Amino acid sequence: MKISTKQYAEVLYDLTLGKSEAEVNIVVEKFIKELVNGNQIKSASKIIEKFEKIYNKNNGIIEASVTSAEKLDKSQMEKIEKYLLDKYKAKQVVLNNEVKPEIKGGIILRVEDEILDGSILNQLRSLKSKLI
Amino acid sequence: MKNYIVEQLKKQIEGFQTETKLEKIGKVLEIGDGVARISGLSDAMASEMLEFSDGTVAVALNLEEDQVGAMILGDFKGIKEGDEVKSTGKILSIPVTEKMIGRVINPLGQAIDGKEEIKSDKFYPIEKIAPGVIERKSVHQPVQTGIKAIDAMIPVGRGQRELIIGDRQTGKTAIAIDTIINQKGQDMICIYVAIGQKESKISRIVAELEKNGAMDHTIVIVAGASDSAAFSFISPYSGAAIGEYFMDQGKDVLIVYDDLSKHAWAYRQISLILKRPPGREAYPGDIFYLHSRLLERSAKLDEKFGGGSITALPIIETQAGDVSAYIPTNVISITDGQIYLEADLFYKGIRPALNVGLSVSRVGSAAQIKAMKKVAGKLRLDLAQFRELEAFAQFGSDLDEKTRAQIERGKRTVEILKQDQYAPMLVENQVSIIYALINGFLDDVAVEKISQWEADFHKFMKSSKKEVLEKIATQKELNDEIVADLNKAIEEYKNTI
Repeated sequence: MKISTKQYAEVLYDLTLGKSEAEVNIVVEKFIKELVNGNQIKSASKIIEKFEKIYNKNNGIIEASVTSAEKLDKSQMEKIEKYLLDKYKAKQVVLNNEVKPEIKGGIILRVEDEILDGSILNQLRSLKSKLI
Repeated sequence: MKNYIVEQLKKQIEGFQTETKLEKIGKVLEIGDGVARISGLSDAMASEMLEFSDGTVAVALNLEEDQVGAMILGDFKGIKEGDEVKSTGKILSIPVTEKMIGRVINPLGQAIDGKEEIKSDKFYPIEKIAPGVIERKSVHQPVQTGIKAIDAMIPVGRGQRELIIGDRQTGKTAIAIDTIINQKGQDMICIYVAIGQKESKISRIVAELEKNGAMDHTIVIVAGASDSAAFSFISPYSGAAIGEYFMDQGKDVLIVYDDLSKHAWAYRQISLILKRPPGREAYPGDIFYLHSRLLERSAKLDEKFGGGSITALPIIETQAGDVSAYIPTNVISITDGQIYLEADLFYKGIRPALNVGLSVSRVGSAAQIKAMKKVAGKLRLDLAQFRELEAFAQFGSDLDEKTRAQIERGKRTVEILKQDQYAPMLVENQVSIIYALINGFLDDVAVEKISQWEADFHKFMKSSKKEVLEKIATQKELNDEIVADLNKAIEEYKNTI
């Protein structure tokens, strides 16, 4: 049976769980050899992506991005971080700030496949659809 | 005036409140031939509408572990890999309204006949579970197709599903169109669903319907040959959804699906691109369910549930008369009977090219009016005997009197059952001519002169014996009084020639 990238990533996570750095190095080396033997090295990047997700999920880390018209200052970023920590019951938030002037104002929050659109552009759009 | 507009605008904007709500988004991973694979969208439902950033709509078909396979409705050229997709939380549905009657629309309910836009605030889901046992009633009212051979021998009832099957160019669509034309003034809303048909054919049909005044009770749904396979796939379901809207109001609806072979092809294409495993003839495993769930939605509802009905006339095109191919056998087993058209008969000049032996109606006779039931039984018998003896017909002189009489009667029966296109006939006229035939009034008329005799007979009845026809139409049976009147009328007519 074909082993999916998700299964590889899960195995890698289980193997490295609670190991020291030196042990992890050995595990990873063996893991790579297994990948080569199984002719799966081509999907390495996908496995890494999956592994990151599994690691983040199990350790309460969320990656989020916030889009704004101008660069947000530190206190604003902290407020958003606090909101996300509360909302997702996470331990840590990795927050990126993307600047897109075309949204005109407000912010768009994005966590994985969820999006909270509070931009002026979106409000104008819904006003337009209501008026027409 | 200017101030008024400004005031109105202010009022509208004042009442406007924005709310930001959590939305699920995904990214297009892959796109090809009308099908997109989308990552994310973890909460997508089956057949949920998805919206691309350019406003194009797609329908989620495959829900997999970390991606969704979706069928794109409409133009997919503007969509590229990496585009954002939003889920809408709505199951695919189309607007429904009375204003659609007389219009030509696409499967999404948008007008494509160049007339005004169709607006409605009522939506019906495209996929709906068919009415259950409790809500149904057995079929008991007729759908008059206006075609003598069908109304007499393969009657169709309201709520029935009668398949029209035959090779290309044998007059399948003609039967359906004649039936639609004959529904004029019969309290029936007709929906013609063209699935993957040539646009030229569709425009010809619409023109013909208009000419015969049939567009006043007809909706034409078009998924043309150049539209995407997704349109062909959903068009019959759209037709059923619109039909259900009228059925729920207690009205009677007739839907023609022209044709389901092309529908199966469209679904096969989508399934193969979605990488669903192919089965027999490369059709996916759920091809049977595809048609059974569609045709099951035709029903006759009980009076407690409004008493409406949907009658379905699906059409299937066979290849070289092969009714045992995959899709034909499937649909034959789903429907309540079939009208089988044969190329050989068509070329012999017997039109409609109905093969009476292979055509059946499993419920229809319950829906015939009494008068028709009375004459149709004898007609069937005459024809069956004729078919058995037909082979001997060439030894004309060596036959005994009785056999020859049966052959002669059979020849006349075949002649009477011929009927021109776009010339549907009222049921009282049908009853009177069949009555004349089975009671031997035509036995002394030469076979070549039968059609002229019939045409003149109808003219005579209409001009001087109208009350007899009216009696049949209103009383719906052949009692002794009407029989006597009919005999007298026919004798009188025969004396005029």
